[in-house]
Amino acid sequence: MIELKNLTKNFGLFTAVDDVSLKIPSGEFFGFLGPNGAGKTTTIKMMTGLFTPTSGQIIINGFDVVKQPLEAKSSFGYIPDHPYLYDKLTGREFIYYVGGLYKMKKDELKESAERVIDLLELAGWVDNKTEDYSQGMRQRVTFAAAFVHNPRTIIIDEPMVGLDPRSARIVKDTLKQKAKEGVSIFMSTHILEMVDELCDRIGIINKGKMIFLDTKESLHVHKSKYDGKLESVFLELTKEIGEE
Amino acid sequence: MTTFFHILWFKNLMFWKISLKQDFGTVIRNIGSFIVFGSFAVGAFYFSNFVTAYLLENVRIGLFLFHRFVGMLLFVFFITINLGNMVVSFSTLYRSPEVHFLLSSPVSYLDIFTIKFLDNFFYSSGTLFMVGFAVLLGYGVYFNHPWHFYLLMMFGVLVPFMFLAGCIAVVVLLLFMKLAAKINFRILIASIVLFYVSQVYIYFKVTSPINLVQEVMKYYPYVDLYFGSLDPAGAKILPNFWVSEILYFYVQKNFGAVTGYTALLVLSTAGVFVFSLAIANASFYSTWITSLSLKSLTVKRFQFKSSFFTFEKKSLLSPQTEVILKKEFWQFIREPSQWVHFIVMMALLVIFLSSVSTLNIKLESPELKAVVYLVVFIFNIFLINSIALRFGFPMISLEGSAYWSVRSAPISPERMYWVKFLVLVLFLGLLSLLIAFLSNIPYLFVRRVAAEESGILAYITPHIAVKQLAYFSIIITPVVAVTLASLNFGLGSVYSNFVEKNPIRIASSQGATMTFLLSVVYLVILLAAYYFPTLMMFNAEVKNLPVDWTALRIVFLVITLSSLCIAGITHILGVRSLRRDY
Repeated sequence: MIELKNLTKNFGLFTAVDDVSLKIPSGEFFGFLGPNGAGKTTTIKMMTGLFTPTSGQIIINGFDVVKQPLEAKSSFGYIPDHPYLYDKLTGREFIYYVGGLYKMKKDELKESAERVIDLLELAGWVDNKTEDYSQGMRQRVTFAAAFVHNPRTIIIDEPMVGLDPRSARIVKDTLKQKAKEGVSIFMSTHILEMVDELCDRIGIINKGKMIFLDTKESLHVHKSKYDGKLESVFLELTKEIGEE
Repeated sequence: MTTFFHILWFKNLMFWKISLKQDFGTVIRNIGSFIVFGSFAVGAFYFSNFVTAYLLENVRIGLFLFHRFVGMLLFVFFITINLGNMVVSFSTLYRSPEVHFLLSSPVSYLDIFTIKFLDNFFYSSGTLFMVGFAVLLGYGVYFNHPWHFYLLMMFGVLVPFMFLAGCIAVVVLLLFMKLAAKINFRILIASIVLFYVSQVYIYFKVTSPINLVQEVMKYYPYVDLYFGSLDPAGAKILPNFWVSEILYFYVQKNFGAVTGYTALLVLSTAGVFVFSLAIANASFYSTWITSLSLKSLTVKRFQFKSSFFTFEKKSLLSPQTEVILKKEFWQFIREPSQWVHFIVMMALLVIFLSSVSTLNIKLESPELKAVVYLVVFIFNIFLINSIALRFGFPMISLEGSAYWSVRSAPISPERMYWVKFLVLVLFLGLLSLLIAFLSNIPYLFVRRVAAEESGILAYITPHIAVKQLAYFSIIITPVVAVTLASLNFGLGSVYSNFVEKNPIRIASSQGATMTFLLSVVYLVILLAAYYFPTLMMFNAEVKNLPVDWTALRIVFLVITLSSLCIAGITHILGVRSLRRDY
């Protein structure tokens, strides 16, 4: 479960996220859309403890991210937009490293690591150093590391960057399965088709403000007003004033 | 040439745009840097002025010996710049994304090399120029040298001297890369390390400072005279010798000799620079290609295996502590720039300790006794500080772009901070204890050595200060080492740079330079506090008077308390900075 209450983030005079509120129940797959620089990554960074909010509150699985950061972080897994890894570690070592940070017992960690390595089909190269990985390989190892401690919530920033079609399919199937298992998923993306395929509910942010927050079906109703394409709805909602 | 100046112009533009950024944080940082750098320059001026006056007026070592000591310091300075430039040039010339970009554009290899070499040299030498000039000023003011002395020294001596060290570094690097394609990488690295270590050893063996002092002091009080016949022939071909000759002859107003040695230095520098360009023109691109395959060669040949540190192995430690320690271990072992530099530093340390452990301490004057004792003490601390700066300062920054994985995990930044610090402080604490013990061997066994050599117990008095001072050194050195570890680690966190991957560049960044300057200020204060009690004790020993311990005890208390404060403050700042937005 994720709840954002009047979340705001200022960088000096610039407001990157402006009074955003939303609630995502367990098992819901939430798609977070917005043009470049709209405030998506800033929102996610606040949710994951990388940024401190200027005001507002973030509750994840009953824990306040600012006041109870360790409890909140124990309950979610995070996949960033640029999945940088420690160059000198292998993929397997990175998964074990993250498992250790989540205080997993060694036997449990071993079993879980093998499971996610199988799930994301990493076995062929997981023992090579990550400095030799392609972007897609890094992305898949990051997914594995985020899943290793069985999180109740998954927060993803641009999951498809650098993934080939097969890897993308694996990731999509895994995410669908997780949602079915009751895991709440918060996913930021630019790929509208993916939102259409996977998400139950959609939020669109522009210039830091939430401008649309409703079910996928409701967005489909909007589609019929334009040319039937989701892309047109998105462009209409996020267009600059001068474009009108 | 047009392309060369075009790139230079844009580099210049970028430099000024970054330097003149007007946001609040940058302005505050710049003011802070100005105050620290300025204070340090003033401190270096007074220190150099004081040391010159002290050695010439109190210890009365004479102009010749004084300038030979300057020459020896310049040798260490030259080797430091040389090695520093070689290591940094490797990343600038072969690992920089800018070189990748420029190689894909119609820019000649020679232009790329020259731009990157100059960029590298001035990037890593800016602070050294400032410190060098402040030291020169302190020295020159003592001798009442005219204004043109400073112009000559800065542009005719200091710049060519440092540039020569940089040019030699890049020539060695190019040759190294050329050979790396043909010779086993491990043998090549070992040969280079061995070569440098042996050069330092041979230099100090040949120039033998103690013998020189004894030979020159036979002519006391005529110690200002020129004793060139005592100089070994091999030392005369070294640039540090030329600089010491320039300084000596300037004082003696022998301007013919000054001009001769200056011309020799400038022409040699120009010659080596042209030579480096010629080699670069012929082989920069081919060595760059070699550098691409070097990684795979290194990987295959340096696979270090240790089942003890595997992540799968169970441990008695908590999972978070365990994985952080294991990650640190593998990151260090698998990064050649870390362990190669570490081996070089340890080799230099062994040379220093083997020289110091056979030090002749049977000196007459209490001032000279105090100077020798304090030089050994401060050199120990300086070595520890160099290791702390090189390996401790970058520790937080080396989390790099993967730091998100720690920040988004259920581990407090403090925990990660302290686990990492523990690794550094344990290593430095033990090393400092070892260094302090080994370097104090001549003092600890003074009775036995004196008795064996003289055949009688003439040296033994009821008031031997040196032994007690040696114990004091062994106790205080680890205290100072912990402080320096805290200072470098804590400020490394304050000035963390998660973008730069190269630990050497992190350890030579502006933040690292500021940290180094602050450590030097701490060391100077330490030295000043320690000097008078030490001198008092040696005075008492020489005059066979009872030794008064009060002053030393007070100094110990003050040093320990102030060190604790410094360590505490830097840790508070360090931990706080880890909570910043990432």
